[in-house]
Amino acid sequence: MEALQRLDQLESEAPDRIAAASDLENLARIEAETVGKRSPLLEIRRGLGSLPDEERREVGRRVNEVAQLLGSLIAQRRSILETAAMDEALRAEEVDVTLPGRRPPRGTRHLIDAIQQEVVDIFVSMGYTVATGPEAETEFYNFTALNIPYTHPSRLESDTFYLDYGEVPEGTLLRTHTSPMQARYMELHRPPVYIVVPGRVFRRDSDSTHTPSFHQIEGLAVDTDITFADLKGTLAHFARLFFGPDTKTKFIPHYFPFTEPSAEMHAYADGRWLELLGCGMVDPAVFGHVGYDPDQVTGFAFGMGIERLAMVRHGITDIRALYDPDLRILRQFR
Amino acid sequence: MKLTLDWLKDFVDVPVTDPAHLVDVFESLGLEVEDWGRIEPTFSGVVVGKVLSVEPHPNADKVRLCTVDIGAGEPSQIVCGAWNFDAGAIVPVALPGAVLQGDFEIGRRTIRGVESNGMICSEEELGLGDDAAGIMVLDEDYPWATDHIGAEFSRLLPFPDAYYDLAITPNRPDCMSVYGVARELAAYYDVDLVEPRTDVTEVGPPSTASITITDPDACPRFVAREVRGLVARRSPHWMRRRLQLAGVRPISNIVDASNYAMLEVGHPTHAFDMDRLGDRIVVRHAAEGETITTLDGNQRTLEPSDIVVADATRPVAIAGIMGGADTEVHDGTSRVLIEAAYWNPPSILLTSKRLGLRSEASARFERGMDPNFCDRAADRVAHLLQELADGAVAPPLIDEYPKPIAERTVLFDVADVRRLLGIELNVAEVADLLRRLGFTVAGDGPLEVTVPTRRPDVTRPADLVEEVARLHGFDNIPDRVRTGTGGGLPTRERTLRKIRDVVVGAGYHEIATFSIIAESDLDALGLPDGNPVRDAVAVSNPLSEEERLLRTTLIPGLLRALAVNQSRQLKAIRLFEIGTVFMPGSGKLPEQPLRLGFVAGGQPAITWEGQGRTADVFDATGLWELLAAELGVPQPAVRAHRSPVFHPGRCAEVLAMGSPIGTVGEVHPAIAARFGLAGRVVAGEIDLDELLLERPPWRFVPPSTYPPVIIDLAFALDGDVPAAALTETVRRAGGPFLEELTVFDVFAGGNLGEGRKSIAVRLVFRAPDRTLTDDDVVPLRTAIVEAVERSLGGTLRGAP
Repeated sequence: MEALQRLDQLESEAPDRIAAASDLENLARIEAETVGKRSPLLEIRRGLGSLPDEERREVGRRVNEVAQLLGSLIAQRRSILETAAMDEALRAEEVDVTLPGRRPPRGTRHLIDAIQQEVVDIFVSMGYTVATGPEAETEFYNFTALNIPYTHPSRLESDTFYLDYGEVPEGTLLRTHTSPMQARYMELHRPPVYIVVPGRVFRRDSDSTHTPSFHQIEGLAVDTDITFADLKGTLAHFARLFFGPDTKTKFIPHYFPFTEPSAEMHAYADGRWLELLGCGMVDPAVFGHVGYDPDQVTGFAFGMGIERLAMVRHGITDIRALYDPDLRILRQFR
Repeated sequence: MKLTLDWLKDFVDVPVTDPAHLVDVFESLGLEVEDWGRIEPTFSGVVVGKVLSVEPHPNADKVRLCTVDIGAGEPSQIVCGAWNFDAGAIVPVALPGAVLQGDFEIGRRTIRGVESNGMICSEEELGLGDDAAGIMVLDEDYPWATDHIGAEFSRLLPFPDAYYDLAITPNRPDCMSVYGVARELAAYYDVDLVEPRTDVTEVGPPSTASITITDPDACPRFVAREVRGLVARRSPHWMRRRLQLAGVRPISNIVDASNYAMLEVGHPTHAFDMDRLGDRIVVRHAAEGETITTLDGNQRTLEPSDIVVADATRPVAIAGIMGGADTEVHDGTSRVLIEAAYWNPPSILLTSKRLGLRSEASARFERGMDPNFCDRAADRVAHLLQELADGAVAPPLIDEYPKPIAERTVLFDVADVRRLLGIELNVAEVADLLRRLGFTVAGDGPLEVTVPTRRPDVTRPADLVEEVARLHGFDNIPDRVRTGTGGGLPTRERTLRKIRDVVVGAGYHEIATFSIIAESDLDALGLPDGNPVRDAVAVSNPLSEEERLLRTTLIPGLLRALAVNQSRQLKAIRLFEIGTVFMPGSGKLPEQPLRLGFVAGGQPAITWEGQGRTADVFDATGLWELLAAELGVPQPAVRAHRSPVFHPGRCAEVLAMGSPIGTVGEVHPAIAARFGLAGRVVAGEIDLDELLLERPPWRFVPPSTYPPVIIDLAFALDGDVPAAALTETVRRAGGPFLEELTVFDVFAGGNLGEGRKSIAVRLVFRAPDRTLTDDDVVPLRTAIVEAVERSLGGTLRGAP
């Protein structure tokens, strides 16, 4: 019965050793010595065959019993030691999470483009599409087709950049507004027309409220039954979408050669009345230039400065800030 | 244009008490109010007094002792330092307790032993003008003051008054006057308009002046009136006050009368000193090279397209623009010829523009005055000279009108009001609105509307609709939100937005630079003569001599922007611009491609992990690869390129569908230095127009669920074989199962031999429908190695 005594001894001694295992390596050694290759259990199991039947059964049962017990104690201890080891490894990886994060690089769109897109989207949502035209334009499209007389001051060299290009009398210039696209678009499309035309325009002017080039959005709606009431409603709606639902607007009579009647829309924004855009019913002479019959169609047109919208919205007082490439300015354009 | 409420009231009885209300009325009429303000007296306690006696001061030579009747009680004794009056004068008296100029209180004082009970005031002391030399003598300026001894002086003046500075749109020359604005108010309130006084008493022998007009198209009408016996003196205070508030400096009654009349009735007139002017006036074209010295003292050289007023010997005025110095009215002038003409507007504009000479008169004539008002304009001045300068008006009114201009009649279908404005007005309502504005309306089918000649802007039914809308009130037209039938956001716009998103996502900040650049910018880029980028379209009238070319490239603007940031110590600078460049083309207009330009440079950012990476050429090519992938550009490619702007070994051309569409790389350090840039500078410029075209939508490819076979191959190649040639060859030989190709190692030197390099690629093969076996991949590997050997002379490294 030496085997049974050894099993009893193992059963009473081994649990303390397992519980005292200090690390996984140590536990592996104890495992080998208690239930593994070099353990009394393996030795006794190997000797089972030489034992008498009755004793073999008894010793066999005890071997399994002890093996099971010790196996489960070892697994328990291993789990504890593994968790502790991982805890320690993770503790070693602790960092100061308040250090600045690794921000993916990201630039900014220019404010002019952002505002332009916002205005375009408002009108696209109202059923308009977008057209764009050339920045270097003929005198015909910039002035003549828009019913601007040869004597109009805006044609003066003091106001408009002319180009050394092409042949006189068909002069070329840098467009002074986005309106030339009215004529260009109507020449190529039959009514109805619902377009907005964003783009860069040029005036011979430079101070804190004028830069030699700036951006405009032109709008044109031509259909069989467009009235001044449509103009007022549509543009007032735009102002509410752009500046907020309570934005008040007023229309006051004005003069443009290419609209009749003409108006300026003022909006109450930023705590004051601001002149926001020029507008009016398309002048019959403009329809005449593009082959539309002014007895069959009516339309309205409008034009507004993008920089002005940007300046009002964001509290910019000097337009030149919009043409300063300083990153400290650009990063604000979010 | 500045005017006062007081002056307007000469012509229209405005039924409002608060001048603020008129601001809204002006605005609703289309008369934009640029500025306005109330005019209140700056004094109180000042009464009208009558000087009873003037005695010397017993103890002083420079002041006098006056006894003044101030209405109530005993006459007051007042010491006064002014000498421009005598006993009997009516004067403003500040009594003890009066306050002048807002805070200066007048008290009882003893002056050199004599008690003074107040102060007799000058214009300047009362804030009524700048005359401080003497006291105001009211019986000259305000004759009716005699009847108001003891009354508050401010009650005699038009207080409370208000001034308005109106911006008159160029289509409304008829509103460039007090009378014209008053007409608009009369229409608005539907009240009567008072006509200006033009009555004169003709005396003396007929005028001997004669008028000849050689070109009636340029001068359809010329009216003249002679006035004699003039006595030059200061204009009365009420007139000087109005002139000053209108921004015109009073000079003397004769000159002031003409200025006053122009501000009041709009039509410019000119007064010639008749003693310096011959009798025979000729209106003619100038002779080539003829000269005149104008009122401003400048000698002007004229051309035959200019119209002049001349006498027998020389031009005496540039028609409608400015008179000559020779015949200018002066202090000794006793006889004048008043000219009131109608000039053809374009001819005035042309001459004024050519001479760079603009005046109040030219601003009016170039927009168009009323040809049928010339006679009244002349006699308005004559009337004023008669009243204020003792003028004797000579008969007759000389009126040369070789080309009469008649009123226009416009047929007006009232349905146009509904069609254009969206409101319902009946015929009577429309007719009434037009009548109030001074149009004559007849008929009731289409209305026959007769337009006064003062309104050159009204020629068509649409113009009448505007008049109806204005007077009916824009506020009374309803708002209707109109939605269109447009086609949404076009592909071009959507693609542009995507490009911006991609470039912004890559860390670049968008900027806007000017489209006009300097020749020196192109010099700085090191571009030799004959380089197409040097072929720029020039602006004929640039703002500065230096910046006169339309940009042919975005690069100089971007490099300058980079330099601005670098000089301000900013780091890791990445900028881009999307903009038009211009180059000579074959059509009426220059070619105007849209481009993307970008730059990166500056010191890398510092973080707690160390310093970041300096941008180099691969950031440039990488940005293109990203863009091409995001946009689905067919066959995007990169190949080595040479450009004077770029580093000779670090410049690439980018291609789409086999065509070059841009250049990217590192800027040549010598070029960068010219822009003040230090360190590596990355730049690129890509034509966008091709990329913005409509493309078919991308098609979905289901990812294979079978495992891949991955093999690594390293090739030894001659140093000048581009990596793109290797990847292209491998890809072609790899066939359809080659799912992914990654270059993962590149080096030169070592044991490869002089001028050789090694490029290693990792190849991922995968079939959509089965697991690949060695039988599939081994032949592909062999084919790839053979292809590289055959076409590039490369050998597989580490091969047995």
